[in-house]
Amino acid sequence: MSERSGGTPPRTLAEALRTRDDDALAALLRARPDLLSPVPNDLGQLATRAGTRASVMRALERLDRFTLQTAEALAASTDPAPYEAVRALMTGDEGDPRVEAALPGAVAALRAQALIWGADDRLRLVRTAREILAPSPNHPSPTGLGPTVAEATAGMSPGRIQEIITTAGLPSTHDPVSAVTALAALFTDRTRMAALLDTAPPDALAVLDRLVWGPPYGEITSKPAPPVQWLRDHGLLLPTSTRTVVLPREAALHLRGGRAHRHTEPEPPEILPHPSTSTVTSTPTARPQVVDSAAAAQAYTALETIEELAKEWNEGGPNVLRAGGLSVRDLKRTATALDTTEPVAAFWVELAYAAGLLAADGEADERYAPTPAYDQWPDLPPAERWARLATAWLGATRTSGLVGGQDSKGRTLAALGPDLDRGAAPEVRRHVLDLLASLPDGTAPDPESVLARLRWERPLRGAAAGRPEDLRARIAAWTLTEAEMLGVTGRGALSSHGRALIAPDSVDGGDSGAMGSFPKPASRTAAATPGELSAVGLHAARALAPHLPDPLDHVLLQADLTAVAPGPLLRPLAETLSVIADIESRGGATVYRFTPASVRRALDAGLSASDLHAFLAAHSRTPVPQPLSYLIDDMARRHGHLRIGSASAYVRCDDEAVLDEILADRRSHALRLRRLAPTVLAAQADPTTLLDGLRSMGLAPAAESAEGDVLVTRAHAHRTPPRTPPAPVPDGPPVPAPTLLGAAVRAIRAGDQAATVVRKTLPEPASAAPGGELPRTTSAETLATVQAAALTGSALWIGYVNAEGAASQRVIAPVRVEGGFVTAYDHTADEVRTYPLHRITGVAELADDPA
Amino acid sequence: MNGPLIVQSDKTLLLEVDHDQADACRRAIAPFAELERAPEHIHTYRLTPLGLWNARAAGHDAEQVIDALVAYSRYPVPHALLVDVAETMARYGRLTLSKHPTHGLVLTSTDRPVLEEILRSKKVQPLVGTRIDPDTVAVHPSERGQIKQTLLKLGWPAEDLAGYVDGEAHAIELDEREWSLRPYQKQAVEGFWHGGSGVVVLPCGAGKTLVGAGAMAQAKATTLILVTNTVSARQWKHELIRRTSLTEEEIGEYSGTRKEIRPVTIATYQVLTVRRKGVYPHLELFDSRDWGLVIYDEVHLLPAPVFKFTADLQARRRLGLTATLVREDGRESDVFSLIGPKRFDAPWKEIEAQGYIAPADCVEVRVNLTDSERLAYATAEQDEKYRFCATTATKRKVTEALVAKHKGEQTLVIGQYIDQLDELGEHLDAPVIKGETSNAQREKLFDAFRQGEISVLVVSKVANFSIDLPEATVAIQVSGTFGSRQEEAQRLGRVLRPKADGHEARFYSVVARDTIDQDFAAHRQRFLAEQGYAYRIVDADELLADS
Repeated sequence: MSERSGGTPPRTLAEALRTRDDDALAALLRARPDLLSPVPNDLGQLATRAGTRASVMRALERLDRFTLQTAEALAASTDPAPYEAVRALMTGDEGDPRVEAALPGAVAALRAQALIWGADDRLRLVRTAREILAPSPNHPSPTGLGPTVAEATAGMSPGRIQEIITTAGLPSTHDPVSAVTALAALFTDRTRMAALLDTAPPDALAVLDRLVWGPPYGEITSKPAPPVQWLRDHGLLLPTSTRTVVLPREAALHLRGGRAHRHTEPEPPEILPHPSTSTVTSTPTARPQVVDSAAAAQAYTALETIEELAKEWNEGGPNVLRAGGLSVRDLKRTATALDTTEPVAAFWVELAYAAGLLAADGEADERYAPTPAYDQWPDLPPAERWARLATAWLGATRTSGLVGGQDSKGRTLAALGPDLDRGAAPEVRRHVLDLLASLPDGTAPDPESVLARLRWERPLRGAAAGRPEDLRARIAAWTLTEAEMLGVTGRGALSSHGRALIAPDSVDGGDSGAMGSFPKPASRTAAATPGELSAVGLHAARALAPHLPDPLDHVLLQADLTAVAPGPLLRPLAETLSVIADIESRGGATVYRFTPASVRRALDAGLSASDLHAFLAAHSRTPVPQPLSYLIDDMARRHGHLRIGSASAYVRCDDEAVLDEILADRRSHALRLRRLAPTVLAAQADPTTLLDGLRSMGLAPAAESAEGDVLVTRAHAHRTPPRTPPAPVPDGPPVPAPTLLGAAVRAIRAGDQAATVVRKTLPEPASAAPGGELPRTTSAETLATVQAAALTGSALWIGYVNAEGAASQRVIAPVRVEGGFVTAYDHTADEVRTYPLHRITGVAELADDPA
Repeated sequence: MNGPLIVQSDKTLLLEVDHDQADACRRAIAPFAELERAPEHIHTYRLTPLGLWNARAAGHDAEQVIDALVAYSRYPVPHALLVDVAETMARYGRLTLSKHPTHGLVLTSTDRPVLEEILRSKKVQPLVGTRIDPDTVAVHPSERGQIKQTLLKLGWPAEDLAGYVDGEAHAIELDEREWSLRPYQKQAVEGFWHGGSGVVVLPCGAGKTLVGAGAMAQAKATTLILVTNTVSARQWKHELIRRTSLTEEEIGEYSGTRKEIRPVTIATYQVLTVRRKGVYPHLELFDSRDWGLVIYDEVHLLPAPVFKFTADLQARRRLGLTATLVREDGRESDVFSLIGPKRFDAPWKEIEAQGYIAPADCVEVRVNLTDSERLAYATAEQDEKYRFCATTATKRKVTEALVAKHKGEQTLVIGQYIDQLDELGEHLDAPVIKGETSNAQREKLFDAFRQGEISVLVVSKVANFSIDLPEATVAIQVSGTFGSRQEEAQRLGRVLRPKADGHEARFYSVVARDTIDQDFAAHRQRFLAEQGYAYRIVDADELLADS
């Protein structure tokens, strides 16, 4: 992993990378997959890309707290800094064995991610990372350190500097540079510094105390109080402007005992067991069987809820809002139907959507409805159904917890609506479950400690978001409740089927050790279509199956017109029963109530009274109560007393004999005539066909006005066209597969070699000829040259194509290169302008004395 | 994991009665779960905040509740429900009402944020006085009931530790020479006395009056008894004289006709709620003596104004008696907060099994209306429909057939509409008791019925309650107050006194088929069906064919 020793030390990151072996490069690309798209041409390009602000920021955000602290310490140190200096900053003067043990790992991790390079005696932080992390006046550093003496005295008059060192008791020097060095040396020398501070007035020490852990800046008046004056005279406070002073870094480090951070956290915080706050779980560790059975019961409830939801939307669910998603009112209605709260209903709806069971139908008047995949759903074994839900949940980037909140523009986020994808979700979910899995069986974690652990692992993410509660913590909290609702956990502890769900499958058990927690490819689980289930899912389903209760084949009928199913019922039984009776209460058992309306519904569904009696007698453990028999008979007696049907046409004739004749004629069979009354026939054929048919039989019918036609529409199960479940939107490119990585590394190496060879053989084209053709350079060269110029502050000659396509040549002095734009002082236009890099056709350095 | 109990996530508990452990389970869950339905195979209990708080008040803690649920449950108990139970029970007792040596009645909290929360409520503010210290606030003694009721609605029930006044002592003894309290009556009295105040629920005919008498004998103090009507008042008086050491002179009647205030005074709800010029002139009754015990008979009928007076009586012991604590107005929780929690409850079928009430055969007789009646029903005004179908001539004929069938048995015909009753009385040649019948006449007729001089009596709803007719064995209901569940139960109660020869009682409900009469009947029967009374349905045509 470390750069090969021997030879001259590398001078640039590219050189450092060049000395790394293939495995190390592959590790870098795995850790920072964004460097791979597109595959860089050579190591120079790779190094340039690894140094861009966006990529560095991404890498820093993924560091854990200790590694980040190490990088911060490095940023506060010299450039390059020896390992010892970093260690001193991290452990302080007293030393800390835990930090010392963890530090090599942190440095190795930083180096593996190409955030630092160079040998241990010359560790260099990538320049962009240094800019982000180093203390500067407009960027307060997390370390709370100020600028160094040298930086803070940059604009000071030499006379003033000499005054300070004299006051501090140092001999005066010839030039400001040596004076500053002497002052810095004094501040770094523990004994001399202590002696100096001993002479300070006590109030001055109190002032220092306020600044020592940052922020190091303080405001002063034009006539400061004596203690502040003393500090200023001794260089312990250096002016940054007329009104503000700063505590220089060296002095602050002395006061801190050499430590860059007040608290270093070399080890991740432990996941604690749930504190037993209530009597519900008198011990935090429930028996694993209890956990499993509780989780299984919840898993069963989850399946029932999804079915209930699909049933609710069976004949076409709520309309899709124009902006996408469910309206608040429809969500509320769904919540009522599911007998739950709106956030929970949003979870179920999103879950069914993620599992590909619900979708919008895509018609003009767009509505939500079950997908064709749902039609096969009930035939699957329950454990498998659950596994599908659970894998869909685990891999989904859609986060139902956001529903009801507002986006950055203040619009309410709707369930099933847009903007619910959060790239971090699958990773956080999986990670939370991994943390649960790290606890002993049957132990429920304290949610606070889980959140603390997550904050430790990704400290920057929360800070970057700048919200009171960062997204990762919210997702983690949702994960804990959602896992409980889904039955992945039971009583807060991971169940055995939950464990099976996150077990690494043999296919890609890649390394995830040193880097901490890098997500498994999120697409793995979601890629499984509803038709097939991943190996993990099957594994989890097998683990769950024995815990699900066996379905029963009987119910208990009671005289108060209820039926109680003391457990889950066989599917056909449950389906028929839910047609005949209304469900009153759900849970382990189901309570059904027979009402006139429910019995009528069963009769409407085509069951006869004797069917119902036979069905109840067959499935009841107890004799069918008489009031129930009466209810059925009474309803059946009245059912169908009035008959309604549809006919397309009718035939009316006062002469009954003619109608007899028509019915007897074989040619009339195709018209499907039926005698409703002695003088009326109803036909299923439309009036025109009927007319033609009767005429062909030699009759002379006359058409009547079409009024009186009855059109009856029947309810149809409403389905969307075939739909695939939504693909997760991961946060950045997925981790490349080993074969791709190998190929990429080979390609970069080849390109790198080619680049080096070309440079040696071909003479430099006359690109630097001012006044000649527009310079033409590759985009990588352009970027490198512009960045170099921004560093040195030198001017460049560029070819530029503006938005209208007009080419021009300009002379610019780049100030900043960021996010694909160059901010530069344009000598041609005499102002500061910003140019998109891709519009720059080429660059050339100017000769030292521009003509 | 094969217990008799299934805990549903909607907080109902299903108990399989035929299970071996059913009895043990019932005993374990009875203190905190309300029995909602008790049909033949599976009984339904419900966990309510009120029930859980009552359990806390009776000294049970959340751990016991959870243990009972988990121990007897067949399936894993939903964790959310257990958490909810623990949290709900933890709400009780954060606030306590107690007596302060200098400030009188005070509300104290062990959890300051709760006190702050409730003091911010607009409903609580007018009821409390000065803040004595951060955890204590004074409460005016007269608002004791009001504040308890309000706090209950806010979800922070207060534990009332302020105790009771003893009242004016008066010697009352049970005279148990010829009889003795039944075991369940004793339990009811003990349950009540131990809890201080509360409601005792016993089936009709199970001897609620004696529970009252037992409570009086415990209190040994002056007692105010509130009853539904004058006839009932006389019966109470009669019973008390017979069963206790009280004499006629010690018992006063405070009704429309008599205004006696004696150590034991029996008043009717009616006279208390008389209102003249916006004031209730008879309210002074509550203050006229230092009552040690107030008994509310048929507490499910407690009129709204009496609730209000009761709120002011919180320092006195209160006993509510009822057979059916279902109020169609849904004010059950007011009964609980103002009179007290349910202290004793016995399922009807259990008392029947012990032989203290007669077994009953409930029969719904379905009458087919004639075509002309159906046509008339179909065209009747919406608000006249029930009256029309409930009073058809066909029903009358069926009723007559039923009376004829039970010739020689003491039969009550009960109905809602006076003209229907008058007509029936004429056809059956039986006396009719209705609202306008004078009390003297009523008592004379009831007496004649008890003596067996009259075998058929036609009564209106005046006889719904508290009329003790031990000999009645057959009741025929021809119409009722729409879908009132408790009326149905009370009417059945008229025939539930155990019979001398132990034979079962009959309760007929005559219902017109395919009309709203049938819908109302279904609703009316719900309470009894849930108590395990399985209605049998008989076609009127078969019945008429038999006779």
